[in-house]
Amino acid sequence: MIKKIDKNNILFVAAATGFFAIGGILTTFAPPLLDASWAKPAPGLQNYPELAKGGDAHADLVMKGRAIYVRDGCWYCHTQQTRTIEADTVRSGWRDVRSPVSTPDEFVFDKPHLFGTRRVGPDLSRAGGKYDKQWHATHFKDPRSLVPGSAMPPFPWIANNPAELDAMVAYIQSLGRAKDWRPTHDYEE
Amino acid sequence: MSSLAAPLPATATTAASPASHEDRSSFAFLAIASLFFVISGIVALLVAGKLQMPTLLGNIAWLTYGRMRPLHVNGMLFGWLLAADMGLAFYLVPRLCGVKLWSEKLGMATMYLWVVIILGAVVEIPLGHNQGLEYAELPTWLDVLVVVAWLMFAANIFMTVANRKYEQMYVSLWYIMGAIIWTAFVYLVGNFATLFTTGVNQANLNWFYVHNAVGLIFTPLGLALGYYFIPKAAEAPLYSHRLSMIGFWSLAFVYVWTGAHHMLHGPISQWLQTVSILFSVMLMIPVWTLVYNFFATMKGQWHQLKDNVPIKFMMTGTIFYLLTCFQGPMHSLRSVNAIVSKTDWIVGHAHMAVLGAFSFFAVGGAYYAIPRMLKTRLHSQALANASFWLWLVGGLSFFVSLWIGGFLQGLQWNDPSIPFIDTVKFMKPFWSVRLIGGTFMFGGILLFFWNLLATWLHRSERPAETV
Ligand code: HEC
Repeated sequence: MIKKIDKNNILFVAAATGFFAIGGILTTFAPPLLDASWAKPAPGLQNYPELAKGGDAHADLVMKGRAIYVRDGCWYCHTQQTRTIEADTVRSGWRDVRSPVSTPDEFVFDKPHLFGTRRVGPDLSRAGGKYDKQWHATHFKDPRSLVPGSAMPPFPWIANNPAELDAMVAYIQSLGRAKDWRPTHDYEE
Repeated sequence: MSSLAAPLPATATTAASPASHEDRSSFAFLAIASLFFVISGIVALLVAGKLQMPTLLGNIAWLTYGRMRPLHVNGMLFGWLLAADMGLAFYLVPRLCGVKLWSEKLGMATMYLWVVIILGAVVEIPLGHNQGLEYAELPTWLDVLVVVAWLMFAANIFMTVANRKYEQMYVSLWYIMGAIIWTAFVYLVGNFATLFTTGVNQANLNWFYVHNAVGLIFTPLGLALGYYFIPKAAEAPLYSHRLSMIGFWSLAFVYVWTGAHHMLHGPISQWLQTVSILFSVMLMIPVWTLVYNFFATMKGQWHQLKDNVPIKFMMTGTIFYLLTCFQGPMHSLRSVNAIVSKTDWIVGHAHMAVLGAFSFFAVGGAYYAIPRMLKTRLHSQALANASFWLWLVGGLSFFVSLWIGGFLQGLQWNDPSIPFIDTVKFMKPFWSVRLIGGTFMFGGILLFFWNLLATWLHRSERPAETV
């Protein structure tokens, strides 16, 4: 059989496609059918894309901020996932309270997903409410003025543009709110 | 083993070839690839410099880190490596088939289209037109052009194979045909299926694509080069045809299952994580059979490492491949992943795969093939040798510093009493070594480019001794 494949290009193409297709289909199209939790939104999750389409001004701001986050590649340096690793829950936590781990139902409306792969900076999956707007404005203008030694670049075109700054901050404050886990009010209140 | 020895067609190992090859498209692809290698290298240094000095060109939006990094990655993957692989495929497929390339015209058209795609990316990415998915940053109109170019490339290769003179297809042909078929599916999933999905579902497709872009595009194309150029450059037959079959079919089956290992410990189903781990470990089978085969082919030929530049690149690439593919399965073990995931270790790993293993295969192939297709001699063996050492020394300091730094960084992250910013400051000396290593590699790129350019410029003054 294998000897034949060796000499017959049509047989070869069929075999190479078949061998690959088993895993190719089972790992792409099958999993969302097998695990319904990927598509079921968490009870506290806001559907910002829908709300924005419906004319909700705040949701619109969040979506604009998200687009800037994508445009300027914040996601190459920041992940958005509190993993099932103890230290992650402490680092994403609020003062002494640990954050819950991220679950698929918190991201159902995310497009593009922004889980990220690399942490040059801290994870932002629970960043909503951690700092107030003034902090972010200063941080975007000059990260090192607040955090000496930071590797985050300055973003003057965001900080100096009120529309972009409002949108960016609205987006950051929206992160990680699908689960109600904070005991006290946050800075943004 | 002799009955199973490689059927590298006899005519392909003797000097004269039955068909006289034009190699126009092959050369043109290699020329644009090496030019994009230089340009992506400049962007690479800028990105590495920005980590050291975040204010470096920091106030110019289109030059910000988050726009230059995808330009660098896409430039290296598609501008340099894939273009070089396509050029070398146009060189070796006709030779392994004993016929001319099916259509040089189509090949040249594919090359021009590729240039349009890369230039499109060079404009779109700095403008911030980013789709937000790794390796799939390019806007959809460019994705469509990539699909068209790939179909053109596929038609040329498959028609050449269909017209072949030798009945038996040598391993390199399988790998190239496999890569073409798999890429079609992988690319469509990563760039089009993702348009219709959200959240974890989209992330799963995205990682499927990212992982298989390396595993089922660059890996088979790179290995096709190894299988062709190692026996050719060393003038020794391939050790075992049977081993190469085991390697190929296990790769075809196993690789595609592993994408979810990018989300280990993350918000994705546990069973899918476990599946990806199991298959990641099984990847050892195709890798070890291949590496054993390459090494056994070199048995009795190791003295050639001293002054055979293509062999140096090929065998060093093989070692990098072995190391990369040892790391991969190790990272996918949950305990190791908890330390290295999201750290600079992974950056070191990814660079060893693309810049170490697969670029070494492509560079070694180019040093071998370009003088032959121009019927001349390489401009300078000494410069080629110097480029090898710059790449080796630069690459090793680059990879090793990121592994050490990244591993320690991961341990620090797992101790939440250490403030995050301290773990950032901790990385700076390692990033410096990486930048220096990267500068060495950039020197290697410049020498490579210059050597090929000079070979081309002086091609008629230096006819090959034997053609
Ligand atoms: C080159 C990598 C890099 C890029 C790009 C980057 N950051 Fe950062 N970011 C960092 C680092 C490092 C820190 C930690 C030090 C600090 O707070 O400045 C950080 C910190 C932060 C913090 C504070 C997190 C906390 O929990 O203290 C926020 C919020 C943030 N970044 C948002 C952004 C946004 C929004 C963008 C895109 C406009 C962005 N970052 C782009 C590296 C980066």
